[in-house]
Amino acid sequence: MPDWQKLVCRHLSLPLDAAETDEIHAELAAHLADAYESMLREGINNSEAARRTLGLAKDWQDLQRKITLVRSGKDTMTNRVTQLWLPGLATFLLATGILALIQIAGLKPWILGKNSDLPIAVPYVWWLILLPLVGAIGVYLSWRAGGSHRAILLSMVFPVLPYLASILVVLPVSLILDKFIAHNISPMSLILALLGWVLAPAAPLLAGGLITQRFLSRRSSLDAVASR
Amino acid sequence: MVGSGIKRGTAELAVLSVLQDGPLHGYELARRIEQQTNGALRFTLAALYPMLYRMEQQRWIRGSWGTGANGRRRRCYRLSPAGKKKLAPLRREWAELFRALRRLTKVAHA
Repeated sequence: MPDWQKLVCRHLSLPLDAAETDEIHAELAAHLADAYESMLREGINNSEAARRTLGLAKDWQDLQRKITLVRSGKDTMTNRVTQLWLPGLATFLLATGILALIQIAGLKPWILGKNSDLPIAVPYVWWLILLPLVGAIGVYLSWRAGGSHRAILLSMVFPVLPYLASILVVLPVSLILDKFIAHNISPMSLILALLGWVLAPAAPLLAGGLITQRFLSRRSSLDAVASR
Repeated sequence: MVGSGIKRGTAELAVLSVLQDGPLHGYELARRIEQQTNGALRFTLAALYPMLYRMEQQRWIRGSWGTGANGRRRRCYRLSPAGKKKLAPLRREWAELFRALRRLTKVAHA
């Protein structure tokens, strides 16, 4: 017999507290198990009964959205906005704003590889120093809205995602399609761009974010212990 | 087969009517409605459970956990006093609607 409980848990992730989620999972799994057993009693073979039972839950996303809407009063779309998109947008604007202020203030970047044959790299050191704070803010905003680990991690590194997308997707596609872009861009300069605008900023964002996440989860577990 | 808009409106009436005969868990409830309507009202999980949870919030029905004959834990729903009160006017409204539709179709065929 299929493990209906496992199947429901795998497909249905609800932004509710653990006890409430467990109850809903158990109830839906019992429904599927009853349906499956009833079909077997009617003489339907195992695989056909499993197929028909799965048909009762054909749209897991719809089920998830409707249950979330009824139980929490919020749509999953609203949750995604508050747990991912708003914290992500906030960290992106903050990181971009800080970089703009550094440039307006006239703080010079390090220019690496000026005298070598390699393409140059220009890391803004002050920006990198301030980025842990941005990562921490992203984590806090997503955590406060009840974000999952994935949403929190994405909010943390959100400022580098547009750079990553432009380096990995936009630039190569433009090189193929756009005749006005210099075609002498070497693979090394792409690697340096990836290093300077994605990996280097991602490291302090993650550092600040992970420390904050650890602090927040420790504090909430202490609160949980205290409230018992 | 009845269209989905009508189904949505009648589903609550169906649940309340079936629960009037006694408490049932989700699967039994869906099966009973399907049998009594000759398959015209058939529920997927996404149609049934959000509606049951909503009706529970409105206090028309009450859910409580118990253990079935096969040892499986199940949540049984029963009609609450508020649900019983709701059922009578709901039945009247739908009966009026069906009478009106019958009159309308008779006029149309005349």
